[in-house]
Amino acid sequence: MTTAAQVRDDIPRISLMWLLIAQALVIIPHLLHVPLWLIGVWLGCAAWRVQVFRMRWPFPNAWVKAALMIGSGFAVYLSRGGLVGLDAAVALLITAFILKLLEVRTRRDALVLIFLGFFTVVTSYLFADSLLAALYSLLPVLALLAALVGLQQSGFAREPLAPLKLASKLLAQAIPLMLLLFVLFPRLEPLWSLPQPKDKGTTGLSSSMTPGDLAELGQSAALAFRARFDGAIPAQSQLYWRALTLPNFDGRSWSISERFERSEPQWQAQGESISYSIIMQPSTQPWLFSLDVGSSEQEDIRLMSDFRLQRRTPVNRTYQYQATSWPQALRQPQLNQRQQQEFLQLPRTGNQQTRDWAQRLRGQYHDDDALVSALLRHFNQELYHYTLKPPLLGRDSVDEFLFSSLRGFCAHYAGAMVFTLRAAGIPARVVAGYQGGEINQAGQFVQVRQFDAHAWVEYWQRGQGWRSVDPTFEVAPERIERGLQEALQDESELFQGDIFSPLRYQHIAWVNQLRMSWENLNHSWQTKILGYQRDSQQAWLKQWFGKVDWQVLGLTLVASAALIIALIVLWMFKPWQRQTDPVQRVLNHFQRVLRRRGFKRETGEGLRDFYQRIHQQLPQSQQQAVRVFIETYEQQQYAEQGQDLATLRRALAQVKK
Amino acid sequence: MRETFFKLPRQWFAAWLARRLPPVQSIRLQQQHIFIVPTRTGIAYAAALLLMLLVAINYQNSLAYALTFLLASLGLLTMFHTWRNLAGLTLSAAGSSPCFAGEYGNYRLRLHSAKNAYQAIAVGWHAKQLTLVDVEQQSEQLLELSLLGKQRGWQHAPRLRIETRFPLGLFVAWSQIDLAQSILVYPQPLHDVDLLVSGQGDENDAEQASPSAGVDDYQGLAAWQEGDSLRRIHWKAWSKGQGLLVKQFTEQQGQQQVLDFTQVPGDLEFRLSVLCAQVLKISQTDQPYSLLLPHQELGPDSGVEHRQRCLRALALYGVEQP
Repeated sequence: MTTAAQVRDDIPRISLMWLLIAQALVIIPHLLHVPLWLIGVWLGCAAWRVQVFRMRWPFPNAWVKAALMIGSGFAVYLSRGGLVGLDAAVALLITAFILKLLEVRTRRDALVLIFLGFFTVVTSYLFADSLLAALYSLLPVLALLAALVGLQQSGFAREPLAPLKLASKLLAQAIPLMLLLFVLFPRLEPLWSLPQPKDKGTTGLSSSMTPGDLAELGQSAALAFRARFDGAIPAQSQLYWRALTLPNFDGRSWSISERFERSEPQWQAQGESISYSIIMQPSTQPWLFSLDVGSSEQEDIRLMSDFRLQRRTPVNRTYQYQATSWPQALRQPQLNQRQQQEFLQLPRTGNQQTRDWAQRLRGQYHDDDALVSALLRHFNQELYHYTLKPPLLGRDSVDEFLFSSLRGFCAHYAGAMVFTLRAAGIPARVVAGYQGGEINQAGQFVQVRQFDAHAWVEYWQRGQGWRSVDPTFEVAPERIERGLQEALQDESELFQGDIFSPLRYQHIAWVNQLRMSWENLNHSWQTKILGYQRDSQQAWLKQWFGKVDWQVLGLTLVASAALIIALIVLWMFKPWQRQTDPVQRVLNHFQRVLRRRGFKRETGEGLRDFYQRIHQQLPQSQQQAVRVFIETYEQQQYAEQGQDLATLRRALAQVKK
Repeated sequence: MRETFFKLPRQWFAAWLARRLPPVQSIRLQQQHIFIVPTRTGIAYAAALLLMLLVAINYQNSLAYALTFLLASLGLLTMFHTWRNLAGLTLSAAGSSPCFAGEYGNYRLRLHSAKNAYQAIAVGWHAKQLTLVDVEQQSEQLLELSLLGKQRGWQHAPRLRIETRFPLGLFVAWSQIDLAQSILVYPQPLHDVDLLVSGQGDENDAEQASPSAGVDDYQGLAAWQEGDSLRRIHWKAWSKGQGLLVKQFTEQQGQQQVLDFTQVPGDLEFRLSVLCAQVLKISQTDQPYSLLLPHQELGPDSGVEHRQRCLRALALYGVEQP
């Protein structure tokens, strides 16, 4: 026994232990994006706190604490280039979380630390929201709850594992209610804008392309997006995912045009349409992926003048959208002079050899289509080689590629072809995006990775509009038909250095099967859980409730919550077990008998008091019987000896006489 | 200021509590006895959750929503866990040991669990000074609380506060129970005054102290035997049905000492305090002694029981029995 006032301020050993464990678990997922020196600070602080607990060292004094705080703040400022922005804010939060440990003396401090810990777990979701990250985050949450339980001074909480068990039990009980809230709690629009996480490591297409760039992307197996088709999945060779067009050439790299972007281009839907939904990984760019010609009914998505879909704001976290495409649409049959000029633009000088060759072709073929065919034939028949490791090219890169090295990646072929077409007077542009993707049979979706990045060519003819051609197809048809890995089988460097990449083991059937199932699970995670935002919530609710009426939903929420709580409480208290004590049942019977005779035992009245109160009103014969019953009952209730029900029942029988 | 401001509501609350939870010797805590409110920790927890919800809304992060809801559900459910950690617990008074005014007496309390185990139950007179105890399932836990004796006589124990914050400390379930117990408070002994014992050794002092000295010292009562003077019969005792007793007087010859109320100057409480100290002092030796109070005579006798009878008589002199 301890006095609460004494212990209310100390932190029990168990709680401190769980606090230290929780802190480690909370910080681990943040290690990827906090400055490295924070780890040192953390280990130092934890060691110091342990020494304090062992009474080897004192708590740091105010000066040391102030120095640590200012020093860490300054260090965050230096390593994050400021104190504004999410990265710096989270680094500061974690610094505070670590330094607070040195201050934890009282229960109150421990509470602050625990709540800070919960908050830090939430911020970790802003950086990683995969299924694994979510499952992992249950560990720090459990440890924090265990620390909270451990703060309760109880013999129970003195065993190390007991608080954890209780925390797990509480967590499990909370899940049904959590699911209900998750589904029905209205998703609001952001109340104010906050700094977004910067994904420095994001790979993906950029707004300008030097031939080498795409080859670099070709090394990355990171996921770009997943697409699920409403109908059958089109053939892989049809899957040209447009991201953006690169009409400007400066002699070295192709880049996007800043002009005309806002106006919707002219186009006519023709043929059949394809509908699909796409879940995109964060790209930090506003452009989306679609098959030609794509359109979306989502408010914040619009079709730009070069037929790309673009979102109002950059895609900074996983984003889901629905789109419909008309592959055979007629695109911009009319272009004015100025627009045509843009797609004919070339640097004033350079690559003279190619320009001459283009003129020769022009002389040969007066028809644009015939010239394009000839060009494609050229790529097909000459000894061009498709490779991720092209030789470095010099000043006249197009000349060198076309006439001497003959080795290149899709960007080389697309760039060279557009250059030649423009030199021959045909408006053309490079389209950058992704081609193909891996079809997941289990989940019926296509998974597109960064190495599926591709560049192809569009040329324009009056009346016919834009048409797409792919010179890479002429060089390496297997790239288009079966994907990059197939095309580059010789280049064993692919995924080199990442022996753990499951993509390396595609030829082992079960590994591949496992990988596909995992991808499928991730896909569901992203659509069903992460993608459960305003739009999908409303769609889902419409499906279930017919229409979205917040009043009805509110009532449903309250009613179902009450039902769930009632069930849990019922399960906790098990009222059906209450009357199982047979001695208690006999006592109840006894009380009923006396009540019928007009003697009611008051609530909380002791049995002896009851007897004292009524015994004089009882007939002589009854007095004895009642007293015997009460004595027998008390013996049974408090004595060590086991319960002897028969005696008690006999005593009751005497009373009833 | 604060005190006066809260005085009236506090009185109302006390009156309401007295109606709702009347004094009983033993009580099994149930629905109508238990109150539950969020603690400061609970409010801080809610504030932290609100902050997390804001992060979830502003970053449109499903996982942040999920964790916020998980912790909110969990917090809400602990309300029932906390409540259960008090419900069904039986409290009974288990007697008390007397004390002297100004000192602490022991108040015994039995906590009994019929079914569940109860963790970190805090019991005490005041919310700021509680004793923590665990009650295993289907077991009993005896608890001793100390209670300051304020005034001699039967002192009614105040309402007992029993509370628990288990498991997370977000809610506190509490009750205030009056177990209808009183603690016997002896007068505060005044040790320094040492002039009043009438007995052989202190004859001069006794003479000085009491003008009525000279009468043979009263020793106590004895059963009437043939030959005893009728004038010595203690009629009062006889009228109470205690049988025929005769008053016996010492002939100032033995070690016998008489503590006589009338021989002590001063007011009532002072006298009782002085007598109390004397009882304590004499009872340390093995000498028999008697205590003379108006209408009450104890002894001569010695031993612990006699001492307690005397102290009890002093405590309750002129005080109504509860």
